[in-house]
Amino acid sequence: MEITESVLQGTPLLALHGRLDGLAAPAVEEKVTALLASGATRLVFDCSGVEYASSAGLRVFLSAAKKLKTAGGRCGFAALNPPLREIFNISGFLDVLEIHDTVESAIL
Amino acid sequence: MTPWSRPSSEAVTQLTFTEEIVLLALDDKSGAQLHLPVTALGYGLAGAVLADLAVAGKIDTDPERVTVLDPSPTGDPLLDPWLALISAETNARSVAYWLSVLSDRRTEIEQPALDRLMTRGILRREDKKILWVIGLRRYPTVDGQERTEVRTRLGRLILGEDLPDPRDAILISLLRGCRLTDHIFEGPEFAAREQRLVTLAKMDLVGREVATATTEAIVALTAAMNASVPHM
Repeated sequence: MEITESVLQGTPLLALHGRLDGLAAPAVEEKVTALLASGATRLVFDCSGVEYASSAGLRVFLSAAKKLKTAGGRCGFAALNPPLREIFNISGFLDVLEIHDTVESAIL
Repeated sequence: MTPWSRPSSEAVTQLTFTEEIVLLALDDKSGAQLHLPVTALGYGLAGAVLADLAVAGKIDTDPERVTVLDPSPTGDPLLDPWLALISAETNARSVAYWLSVLSDRRTEIEQPALDRLMTRGILRREDKKILWVIGLRRYPTVDGQERTEVRTRLGRLILGEDLPDPRDAILISLLRGCRLTDHIFEGPEFAAREQRLVTLAKMDLVGREVATATTEAIVALTAAMNASVPHM
């Protein structure tokens, strides 16, 4: 999985490309941990390139959202493609996570 | 130290999902196993093993298959026999497949977990005789601290709107999958939060598969019982 880190209008953005599985999840978790350690209270995942998410991948997303919320911040998930949206739907994530159609709307 | 006194707090590491399911499946007062639908606890324990291995980074799951990420032992004798079993399978197998295989070996999962809970000082064993003949083994808690703690933590999550962390989401999903939530979270305040419980329980794939397997077993048993009733 390719992880591209950037900052858009002051908000940290992690763009994920490829398969978010048990092998890729630790690298994403590491990025989230580093951002939290640097004091970030807002994070947006650009999910448009996520082709697949296993249970381990979903746990990383949930863990990131929980940690940001516990830190008094917010975590957004933007531009879900149809397969990922379906996985989020089955897992109830659409009901509990902050979902945005686009990265731009997540930044606002 | 009495035979069932609690070890020092340093010695008490976090319980595995397997231990938590075993513990929560016991009646608070009597230590007897709660009455659950047929095979429900077997599937719950099988799911707990898969969840423990997943959280340990040894396996990963998706709706199609269980993937071994790292076959090296965890060092936990409660889990390593099952990791070896799953790792030895050469064909891609689904979560449902492994729930079926592991639930058939429920006793081999459950007894070591009960033994560990006694070693930790959380449970004690009580052997009784009914009518001086029939043996009855029960596992009362020493002081109920762990059960109270998990019930309070998960109860707060169900009654509130907080995001769960992945570990609590998995545990709630497993508990609901094997119908233990009906026993643990009783009362009108929880009944009013059924939809919230449903949402939380959806968050883990293994827990969802435990629920499906349990429901299918109940349906199959009901059908078999109906078929065996002579028609008038």
